[in-house]
Amino acid sequence: MMQGLGRLLGIDNLSEKYAYVDDPALGHTSARRTAERWVKTTCGYCSVGCGMEIGVRAGKPVAVRGWEDHPVSLGKLCPKGLSEHQTLAAPNRAIHPLRKRNGRFERVTWDQAIDQMVTEIRYIQALHGPDSFGVIGTGQLVTEEFYTLGKLVQLGFGTKNYDGNTTLCMASAVSGYKRSFGCDGPPGAYDDFRAADVILLIGANIADNHPVLCQHLEGNREAFKIVADPRVTKTAMLADLHLALKPRSDIALLNGIARVLIDENLIDRAYIDQHTEGFDDLSAFLKKEWPVERAAAVTGLAADVIVHVARVYGRARAGFLAWTMGVNHSTQGAETVNAICNLSLLTGKLGQPGASPFSITGQCNAMGTRETGFASSLPGYRKFENAAHREELANIWGVPAARIPSARGLAYPDIIQAAADGQIKALWIIATNPVVSFPNKPQLERALSNLDFLVVQDGFHPTPTSELADLVLPAAIWGEKEGTYTNSERRVSKVNKAVEPPGEARSDFEVLLHLATRLGCRQELFPGWTEPKDAFEEWKRVSRGRLCDYSGMTYELIEKHGGLQWPFPESHTDVSPSRLYTDGHFEFDNGKARLIAVDCQPFPDAPTDEFPLVLNTGRTVEHWHTRTKTAQVAILERMAPNAWLEMNPSDAQRLGFRSHDRVNVTSRRGHVDRVELRITQIVAPGQVFMPFHFSETNVNEVTQDAFDPISREPNYKQCAVHVTLSDSPGRRP
Amino acid sequence: MVELPLLEQPARHSFPLRVSSRVADSPALMPGRAPRSGEQYRFHFDMAKCIGCKCCVVACNEQNGNPAEINWRRVGEIEGGVYPLVERWHLSMGCNHCLEPSCLIGCPVEAFTKDPATGIVDHNADICIGCQYCTWNCSYGVPQYNPERGVVGKCDMCHGRLNQGDSPACVNACPEGAIAIEIVDIAAWLRDHAGAEAPGMPSSEDSFSTTRISLPAGLGAGLQPADLQRVDLERVHAQDPHWSLIFLLVLTQLAVGALGTLWALNLVGAVLASWAALVPLAIAGVALAAAPLHLGRPAFAHRAIRNWKRSWLSREVLALSLFAGAAAAYAGALFLNLPIAPIAGGCALAAGLAGVACSARIYMVPARPAWNLNFTLTDFGLTCAVLGPRLVLAAGLGRGNGLIAFAIMASILQCGNSVARLITMWRSPAHELSSAARLVRNTLRRVLIARFVCTALALVLVPFSPIPAFLFALAGETAGRYLFFAGVVPKSMASTYLTPKEAAA
Repeated sequence: MMQGLGRLLGIDNLSEKYAYVDDPALGHTSARRTAERWVKTTCGYCSVGCGMEIGVRAGKPVAVRGWEDHPVSLGKLCPKGLSEHQTLAAPNRAIHPLRKRNGRFERVTWDQAIDQMVTEIRYIQALHGPDSFGVIGTGQLVTEEFYTLGKLVQLGFGTKNYDGNTTLCMASAVSGYKRSFGCDGPPGAYDDFRAADVILLIGANIADNHPVLCQHLEGNREAFKIVADPRVTKTAMLADLHLALKPRSDIALLNGIARVLIDENLIDRAYIDQHTEGFDDLSAFLKKEWPVERAAAVTGLAADVIVHVARVYGRARAGFLAWTMGVNHSTQGAETVNAICNLSLLTGKLGQPGASPFSITGQCNAMGTRETGFASSLPGYRKFENAAHREELANIWGVPAARIPSARGLAYPDIIQAAADGQIKALWIIATNPVVSFPNKPQLERALSNLDFLVVQDGFHPTPTSELADLVLPAAIWGEKEGTYTNSERRVSKVNKAVEPPGEARSDFEVLLHLATRLGCRQELFPGWTEPKDAFEEWKRVSRGRLCDYSGMTYELIEKHGGLQWPFPESHTDVSPSRLYTDGHFEFDNGKARLIAVDCQPFPDAPTDEFPLVLNTGRTVEHWHTRTKTAQVAILERMAPNAWLEMNPSDAQRLGFRSHDRVNVTSRRGHVDRVELRITQIVAPGQVFMPFHFSETNVNEVTQDAFDPISREPNYKQCAVHVTLSDSPGRRP
Repeated sequence: MVELPLLEQPARHSFPLRVSSRVADSPALMPGRAPRSGEQYRFHFDMAKCIGCKCCVVACNEQNGNPAEINWRRVGEIEGGVYPLVERWHLSMGCNHCLEPSCLIGCPVEAFTKDPATGIVDHNADICIGCQYCTWNCSYGVPQYNPERGVVGKCDMCHGRLNQGDSPACVNACPEGAIAIEIVDIAAWLRDHAGAEAPGMPSSEDSFSTTRISLPAGLGAGLQPADLQRVDLERVHAQDPHWSLIFLLVLTQLAVGALGTLWALNLVGAVLASWAALVPLAIAGVALAAAPLHLGRPAFAHRAIRNWKRSWLSREVLALSLFAGAAAAYAGALFLNLPIAPIAGGCALAAGLAGVACSARIYMVPARPAWNLNFTLTDFGLTCAVLGPRLVLAAGLGRGNGLIAFAIMASILQCGNSVARLITMWRSPAHELSSAARLVRNTLRRVLIARFVCTALALVLVPFSPIPAFLFALAGETAGRYLFFAGVVPKSMASTYLTPKEAAA
């Protein structure tokens, strides 16, 4: 009462709350940030893999700071990283196991939850077969958990139908690398940004999506930088040359470049002959199908620009090719990756510093799930179809080889389709939010509503997905558990526990072991395991001798060096930037990489009179994925509180729209309403752009569920829409 | 086909491509020494390096423990050109630590200081009374009011960090090294401060901003910096109407007008009721008693006259207090029928008119172009003339055709003043003025109509029904003041396209 009066009269101005201190770690700063201890870890958002420290006071996270001299981030963090400690105390954290009964969630104990989960799944599997149970994972657990999860799903639950949300972002890179080099794994290093003298970013808006990488890009003052993107992104502004190509014409650009390289003999015949196969076919294909004029016509770029780019790249000492979702989010994603790899192979510099085809990954540990696998490949990049690989694994694990599947199960979109078709009856979704992130939401909702049993295991509840669950398992998140993440440059970094998870939330690792106990396979699959390190030790044995060799790593060594790049075999000591395929030996049986001729097809949902605009989707720097975390961080939410639709002024004028009008975006599949219109020249006439983070105005109401036949990745980047006015605040007369 | 040598930049107009305009220098981010005599610290912002990631904003809020809706450092966007030859750049600004800080000059309580050693403009939250006058005075929108504390706050260049040799939080957080601390020669900067100008930034003339902004070297497609437009131009919102200030202004002007009317009637020989002057006195008393409600820290309202040498707000408080005192003397003298009554009344009127003028001058600041017009002064003065005689008529304290004619004339002039102000704003090339006119015409249209209808009714009714005439006039002037406060577009640096999310209610 006195306090309230004091505040009202202004006698109290909260000077204590707003006091500053001279903190030994942070220097002069807000007193609220003073920590008792600092816990070194790796950022849990994207795949850049920034080193950071979490400040903890009285068991609460009070601050983060960049890890000074970290080899990746050089002490810097992006706005999400700088406020990441706030996600831990978010009000929407999942804190109790919940069971849905009569449409309402009720608290249950962990034992009850695990018991119910195993009982229901076993019942459904008994009734409909083991593969009627599907699992959709994530790229955001620690590698130790991915390894444990894969083993538990494939050998414990005994279903093949396990995939991750990584299929929504990196599958095309995975498939492309496998097709070109015989194995997944980005060959380059971030150091290539600095070592290259020509950098070509294709469909990669790193200024918004991987901002901390920009210091490597901008740290290289000498390189000629080219950005290929239909939108004038912030990254395009960093370029010496912006190639504003038409949507989904990157293969045409790449084929045009390849054609010029061959025509003008800017290729390395000796390297091609020695280390690749398929050159003659590729050359003949390009000569027949891809004169530069055709590339120019398809891309909308002038022919001499393509020639110029080809010459710049062909004559480069080290040309770095990096890409992100502009390439992957395509029905031709894997093939586009092949077309990129072609350029690298043709010039014969792959593996040299600065010269590699480099997929910049999405999630903090998408790489970890790719390595430890059991979704798109067997652990350690082993192949399902390779009997020797299965045998090898069976020997390490002491299980019969017959228990290891000889073909991969359904990919993510096919699990959804199977659910819609009634073949998948039970689904376990871990740390992902498909109701917001999966394309064509109306179709996804039909699939999920068709399930007999849905378990959602997540750090947050409610999310649009967890609300649909029959059972919600509350998970610990980044900052509350230990393990490793692998970043885009194959750097394995340590993730540490700074604080206890809230309520009854448990680490995914503990949940998995609990499930194994209940399934009765814990002793067989996870003998003596109690902590993530046990999984890590087994994983080191499993990865030994593989491309992703961890066997020389220890947690201590990883932490000491701010992460270690694989391969890091036993007795390895070199921690300088490492690259794959430096000897020109690739992972195919004959050791040769493949040059693959790929044609450029139009995207599937072409604009029509009814749907005349091409919708592109992407990110904004303030938010992460479906905003379950970043919407809880007030400063990020303040800076980007709602979705918007970018439209060129010529289209807006034709449609009679004005800035800040609210518009409805409609496709053949659905509509998203009341999106704030941004009239801007940064998008081309005929194209519109919308960020995908916002569940309230979810662009995936309209995106197309068309998938790359090779990688199964969705074609998020182009679909045909029309735009109408919903209302117009403060319209001028 | 054109022969292009390796790495040669292709001719700009021949291809649909953008050629880099980024510069390739990497200066140190800290000056490495303290400013000497005649020098001060300043920010340097390198627009060519900024990628618009907003790390600086988050780092600043973390550093200072500010709630999300208060951002001592902000990032804005500017863009120009035609696809694909488009330039899009960002601004990142904290405080500009001006050579003539308008926040400091206007602050009634001297809560701001300019550190003689570093030039840093500091704000003291313990002295601040939360009047928010600085938030109107600053052309860059730097000081921001924190309702939780009842005081404003602002960027102090992380003074405490600089003292220990650490870089400010924003400098430290920027992954691109786009923000730096430099030393500026004050005299040289006063002569030539063109380096502070940038698209999306208000002119540095208002207060001699010290922040140096490096523009991208040579924009593509023949664009000039002036072709870059701030992206928030269409995002214009009505401002807080400040009801307590509407109340204060209208009532003090009513009191001054009524007292002046009584005094003038008395002067021309009319006999006043002995209690007549109690009416304006009571009104002034209510107005002044309510004034501290506007403050974040009403308990310290008395500090408001401290800076009477520089601050129009201090002067207003002083003049209106004198008015109240003199009005009390006038009322007392009238009541006791003392001969000094005309003198006391004259003094009260003089103090009152001075107070009204000070009120107007408070708002006539470069940072609020729609206020910074002589129309403000005439508007406030005419409110006295519109309301004063009508109150005297309505209360039966005086009568006569002269009084009625005066009231009608005042209303006509007030309407003319309002219309002329709107037209001036409408036709102005300055975005802040034309947008404010648009705001009044669109968002605030109903209030605008009410303002004119009430004034017109007050005008025609005054000969017949003085009480309704007075009430309509009061409503009309209140609506006018509402339009004044709500219908302003402050100068500020460019913001982002989306409206930043406000604090949850």
